[in-house]
Amino acid sequence: MNGDVIQLVVQVDDLIPRGTRMNVFESIYWVFIALGTLVGIIVIGYMTYSAYRYRSTGDHAADGDDDRPYLGELPTGGGKGRKLFLSFALSAVVVISLIVWTYGTLLYVESPVSAQEADEELEIQVVGQQFAWEFIYPNGESSFELHVPADQRVRLVVTSDDVFHNFGIPALRAKTDAIPGQTTETWFIAEQPGEYQAHCYELCGAGHSGMNAKVVVMEPSAYEEWYASMGENASGNGSGDASGENATATPTAGNGTNASGTASTNASENTS
Amino acid sequence: MSDDTTPRETDGGHATADLPATGDHVHESSHEHGLPPMESIRRWFVTTNHKDVGILYVVTALFFLVFGGVLALLIRVQLLEPGGTILTDAAYNQAVSSHGLLMVFWFLSPFAFGFANYVVPLQIGAKDLAFPRLNALSYWLYLFSGVLFGISFFQGGTFSGGWTMYAPLNVPIYMPNIGATTAILALLMFTASVTVGSVNFLTTIHRMRAPGLTLRRMPLFTWTILLTVWMMLFAFAALLAALIILSSDRILGTVYFAATDAGGSVLWAHLFWFFGHPEVYIVFFPALGAMAEIFQTFTGRRIVGRKWFIAAMVLVALQSFLVWMHHMFLTSINLPVKTLFMATTIGISLPFDLMVFALIYTTIKGRIRFKTPFLFAFGALALFILGGITGVFLGAVVLDFEFRGTYWVVAHFHYVMVGGVTGLVGAIYYWYPKMTGRMYDEFLGKVHFGMYFVGFNLVYFPMFLAWETPRRVFDYPAVFQPWHQLATAGAFLLGASFLVMFYNFYVSLVSGEEAAGDPWRYVTTAEWAVPSPPPLENYPGRPSYDGGSLQFLEDMGPRPSGIAAADGSGETRSDGGVAAVDGALTGESHEESHASIWPFGISVAGFLVLLGLSGLPSGATLYVTLTVAGFGLGLYTLVGMARESQTFHGPSGPFGESWPFARVENTKLGMWFFLASDVVLFGAFIGAYVFIRVAFGWSAWEIVPHDPIPGLMNTYILLTSSFAVVLAMVAAQKGSRNGLVVSLLVTLLLGVGFLGNKGIEWYELYHEGQWLSTSVETSTYFLTTGLHAAHVIVGLVIVCYMLVRAWGGAYLDDDRPVEYFGLYWHFVDIVWLFLFPLFYIL
Repeated sequence: MNGDVIQLVVQVDDLIPRGTRMNVFESIYWVFIALGTLVGIIVIGYMTYSAYRYRSTGDHAADGDDDRPYLGELPTGGGKGRKLFLSFALSAVVVISLIVWTYGTLLYVESPVSAQEADEELEIQVVGQQFAWEFIYPNGESSFELHVPADQRVRLVVTSDDVFHNFGIPALRAKTDAIPGQTTETWFIAEQPGEYQAHCYELCGAGHSGMNAKVVVMEPSAYEEWYASMGENASGNGSGDASGENATATPTAGNGTNASGTASTNASENTS
Repeated sequence: MSDDTTPRETDGGHATADLPATGDHVHESSHEHGLPPMESIRRWFVTTNHKDVGILYVVTALFFLVFGGVLALLIRVQLLEPGGTILTDAAYNQAVSSHGLLMVFWFLSPFAFGFANYVVPLQIGAKDLAFPRLNALSYWLYLFSGVLFGISFFQGGTFSGGWTMYAPLNVPIYMPNIGATTAILALLMFTASVTVGSVNFLTTIHRMRAPGLTLRRMPLFTWTILLTVWMMLFAFAALLAALIILSSDRILGTVYFAATDAGGSVLWAHLFWFFGHPEVYIVFFPALGAMAEIFQTFTGRRIVGRKWFIAAMVLVALQSFLVWMHHMFLTSINLPVKTLFMATTIGISLPFDLMVFALIYTTIKGRIRFKTPFLFAFGALALFILGGITGVFLGAVVLDFEFRGTYWVVAHFHYVMVGGVTGLVGAIYYWYPKMTGRMYDEFLGKVHFGMYFVGFNLVYFPMFLAWETPRRVFDYPAVFQPWHQLATAGAFLLGASFLVMFYNFYVSLVSGEEAAGDPWRYVTTAEWAVPSPPPLENYPGRPSYDGGSLQFLEDMGPRPSGIAAADGSGETRSDGGVAAVDGALTGESHEESHASIWPFGISVAGFLVLLGLSGLPSGATLYVTLTVAGFGLGLYTLVGMARESQTFHGPSGPFGESWPFARVENTKLGMWFFLASDVVLFGAFIGAYVFIRVAFGWSAWEIVPHDPIPGLMNTYILLTSSFAVVLAMVAAQKGSRNGLVVSLLVTLLLGVGFLGNKGIEWYELYHEGQWLSTSVETSTYFLTTGLHAAHVIVGLVIVCYMLVRAWGGAYLDDDRPVEYFGLYWHFVDIVWLFLFPLFYIL
């Protein structure tokens, strides 16, 4: 008996998406898209069918003619309560089960790391400022590009020097608010070396549209080399090593922006 | 559709037999109680009639729809290619921000309240709103707040921090232009308009329903408006607090939201979203109500599960105040709080499922006529379903993390909000014949719907596909360009569809077919039982549902037999005692008034004051002059309106159903509603203080006044003054003029003493270098107690006015004004009882 329960828990446990934030997002997103589309088609299809079936010029128009509303009547209950509640209960079950299912993942995403993981984790401070991102590494050096090793858990501790920003790397599914006077945290694991793009996701002033940062995911060895040489280069220019890795980058949304990065706004102060 | 040829005999002749033939009712337009005729320009400045005000609201809201719509087209043109086309960064941010503000505030709610003004009194059997002049005041405050917003564009650019106005971008160090201040003050003025309107509608709907029309039997549109104004009363009070604090940061130099303070940024988010989430339902509910009415009429069915539909809405209205933090999942709030707000968010989505199914099942066994109003209502339901489904995505916190700040959010809330607009566009076609007396052109209506529906989905659906575009950014990945171009094309189609509507309405107004009282069939609500447009006093007799359906009893007009006739019809009302006496006293001597210029005057004054305040920090003579002139005009017009109260008569009792306020007179109830919103205002101020102090470190906080003794003295002074007000009321009841004058004088002197004592305290602090902008401690202290002092000053102005009138012998036969002032004054005292320990001792 007890074993069954444990087995059941384990099975439920298996259903909860885990892994990198890209995996987590992808698996949940597509389930939602599939179910959402299905529900949308059924509900809107049914209402359209029903409206067409009972059109005033159709065969069924006289079906309810014994009991039409009249001017000045007081409202009465109206029937079909059972059908209404059945549909309602069904929709409630769908919605609640979906949310409960994703809640497991939320717990996973937000769970504190174990001591061992914490040792292996790379922690980087991110500071938003109008209109650039500064990344401060454990060695105290800072850069205006985010360089991280592939396949390692990276923890970002994010704050702002001036107004409310939001730091997000869409391709790596990492995002969190950058709030002046407070810090927030997020994490990600990048699997594919390559160049990505970080954006600001909260309107922060005139240069908001151009408040981007380059994110370079490097092979661990290349990263070590870059990290060691950080102090030597002026901050913000230490990216030569990564260019060779571009071939393996998956063309996600982040890459497209590079082409348009030179739009009017970028003139503002990307290097301040 | 050949619905026009369907036979009419199913109408249920037994009901209409009770009703007068609609459409041929001859109304004596010769004497409209001092109200100039429709053609006169003057009428529209002085009218207080709910139907006129409703039309003013609708027309003005449509103007702001065009205003906000043109801004939306600018945004869409800018997004034609990554990196933008025609706007600079600053201009784009202004366009995005003002588009949001204009559509949410100056278009959506006022558009709905145009219909609410016109239809709600008709549906519940009232001759007008409870306070007709306050209704006109709401409108003029709304109009002038919009004018103020328009002016902000020409004062160095308007506000450019998004409609959510996140801190600290909204403070002068980051946004120094005067126009930004003006935009915030415009919103503040709009909030005042909403508060006045909420008080008015709450009093009207609760107190002035026809006999037999209990809350449960109320039409669904009126139900949605009732719930909307309840939410507005509290939500907008929170917004008012946020805006007063923000204005103070910008004009007086307080430092609530400045970046250096730990709590400021998140404080704004809490205050704004505490208002902001109920606001979603505030703008959506009226549309839902209109959709419910339209569904019932054009399907020829009563709504399925009516009481559950209403229960679901009540649940949503209550719960709407418990979900605001789901807008803040990525701030530093912790996991248990996230879980809680995830649960409440899902909880609030479920009642909507029920409402959607109820509407869908209403079509079954219907005799559905696809006229323009139904097409829009039906389309609105489909769009709302899509908005709802995509909203569930956002309820899953893990997905919300990624959708935050992207076009998924933009697309989702446009499906919901503009889905609501779709329902309201249905409403304008539905009530157009009622409001104008003319039919619109059905073919053009259907063309409008076709263009609208295709255009709508072309604009917003591609946004789901290009959802990874960051919000409020015009630089996006090139792969999304086709979707954005499609959206831009859709935006122009959507915009053009409204040109068809305007053309249709304009032509129909001049040469449309004349509309009967009920142009639709299968309608049930009372607005269709009177001619189109209805006469000034709405009904040919006193509407009553006591007989089981709507009847007009023949006791209309100033006949003393009114009460007797009502008794003759065998009705007994719980408030008969008080209200019937009122009716006997007032009903005989005069009819309702419908004209007053003072609401317009007060709004002009408010406009001048706020415009002046916007530039006051610059010290320019122009702005100082405007402020002073505005205050002068404000005092003059307020006194003018107060004096007019003796000759201006709003609807008087007896009313039918007034549950649960049968024993409270209208003005008193209005005062209670106003004070309830004031409680939230001060609650938000106190909450802001506690929040900032906790973020700062509770014990590290420095209490600003060095000595609690002056504050303690002031506590006693205020308590004594409350006692004096009670004495004033007793004196008035006893008919003692001298007692009344002396008691009011004592109240005045104690109030002045309170202010004097406070002035000394502030003067000393100022000379020690402790002033508004010194620190966050002084900011909260001066602003919160200053807000209270402002309440005291307002009270003293009223006392002065009452003193003058009492000297002339007023209030002796009717002490109610003294009593109502007393309510206000006691409230101000009670607030001080909270402020004193919080700011002087703890």
